[in-house]
Amino acid sequence: MLRPTLNELISGMQRTIMEALLPELTSPYAQGQAMSAIAMLVHAAAVLESAPAFDAAEIKDLRATFAALKRLGDKHISKKRGLRGALSRATRASAKNPSDRRAMEEAMAAFATAVALGDADESVARQVRGYIKRNLERSRNLLGNSLPTA
Amino acid sequence: MPHAREHRVVGLKRISGGSSRETYAFDLEWSEGGETRSRPMIGRRDPTGGLLKSDREREFKVIEAVHRAGLKVPEPLYLELDASVMDRPFFIMHRAAGQTGMGAFPAAESESTRAKVADDFISELARLQALDYRECELEILGAPKDLEAPARIQAAHWSEIYERDRMGEHYPILDAAFAWLKANPVVSDRIVIVHGDYRSGNYLYDENGIIAMLDWEMAHLGDPMEDLGWASMMFWGREEMAGGLMEREQFYRLYEQKTGHRVDRERLHFYQVLGNAKMAVICLTGIRDFVERRTSDAVMPFLELLLPALFEDLAKQLRLI
Repeated sequence: MLRPTLNELISGMQRTIMEALLPELTSPYAQGQAMSAIAMLVHAAAVLESAPAFDAAEIKDLRATFAALKRLGDKHISKKRGLRGALSRATRASAKNPSDRRAMEEAMAAFATAVALGDADESVARQVRGYIKRNLERSRNLLGNSLPTA
Repeated sequence: MPHAREHRVVGLKRISGGSSRETYAFDLEWSEGGETRSRPMIGRRDPTGGLLKSDREREFKVIEAVHRAGLKVPEPLYLELDASVMDRPFFIMHRAAGQTGMGAFPAAESESTRAKVADDFISELARLQALDYRECELEILGAPKDLEAPARIQAAHWSEIYERDRMGEHYPILDAAFAWLKANPVVSDRIVIVHGDYRSGNYLYDENGIIAMLDWEMAHLGDPMEDLGWASMMFWGREEMAGGLMEREQFYRLYEQKTGHRVDRERLHFYQVLGNAKMAVICLTGIRDFVERRTSDAVMPFLELLLPALFEDLAKQLRLI
């Protein structure tokens, strides 16, 4: 294994900023930026650790949701908003190896739009809402639920 | 200052806040009539990148106009559009005293201060919305051609920025939000000056209330419900306290009392959906500028952390969860 590892490098950069750079800075703005850079490295380390699992869960869920939508059959997939075309594209994207996540998200955007505009069958809406709920939960687990604070 | 001589910039330091422009605090000293005089100043210079692409001349003229009208804003002093003077255009304002925050009004503040700030916050909004933009010579902001235009203009504007700054990604909830906004435009009852970022965190205050409303770079002409909707978004306060200032329904009642206009719930809802979508797009703009190296501001990558709360609010508003 190559040493230092990526996590060890990130941790070392945090210490360099904190112990070598920060004490030399006199401007409050520069000090604030240095603190933000440290926080950025903490965030980077967390994302490096959690992002692969997040991405895998996202792709798995998108594939499962589109498979469930396909199983509903054409009579439930409205022609409005190009949903049938979106489902076809999503099915092709999910069959790729690796799956084309961006294309699946684009298709999901079409379905979410149809639900928001009331143009989706209730059984379709249930699948889409289920995915969005799970997606938001995963995002909160990855990124937290931050608000601008005083 | 025609009799002023020997101007000196003293104690120049960059400060955080006002992320759409580089902001500097300094004192200007000069000699006049044999005496040394001094005045605290703020300089705002165009950034190389950041949250917003806005026109500093418009911003300066708006601050000038509302200052003339007696609203609580920092006194605008100089505008320099010639980029050769300091690399990029800038303007200078009087530096007002007071403190500010980044979001909801601090819960640790006293009840008395909170109540005064809350009252001033709505009073200043009412005074802003009572101004006639023509009398303020603010036609430069572009008057909407009719009462249907403000909602369409704002939805289209932020949708275009989303298309520009999403870096090829699709955010299903945001895509749905802009489609919904375009499909459900509301009709305003009048055209007013809209601050565009009227919220807790964008004012200086002390124990006597608000000293100055800040950050006018998104000012435009539009629907009065736009500022009210933005100011009372869950994002700036969470739970039932609008902006951390007062209970949301009380906030709307006080607005009705001070403006003499009723809060139109349908338009309010539209502008709160727009507000969440707009804030998410502002985050994406900051992230793009960081990724594409137009800014090195270390705060920008953290904007990603704000997206889950905005998306959750949008999903609730659009009945996507």
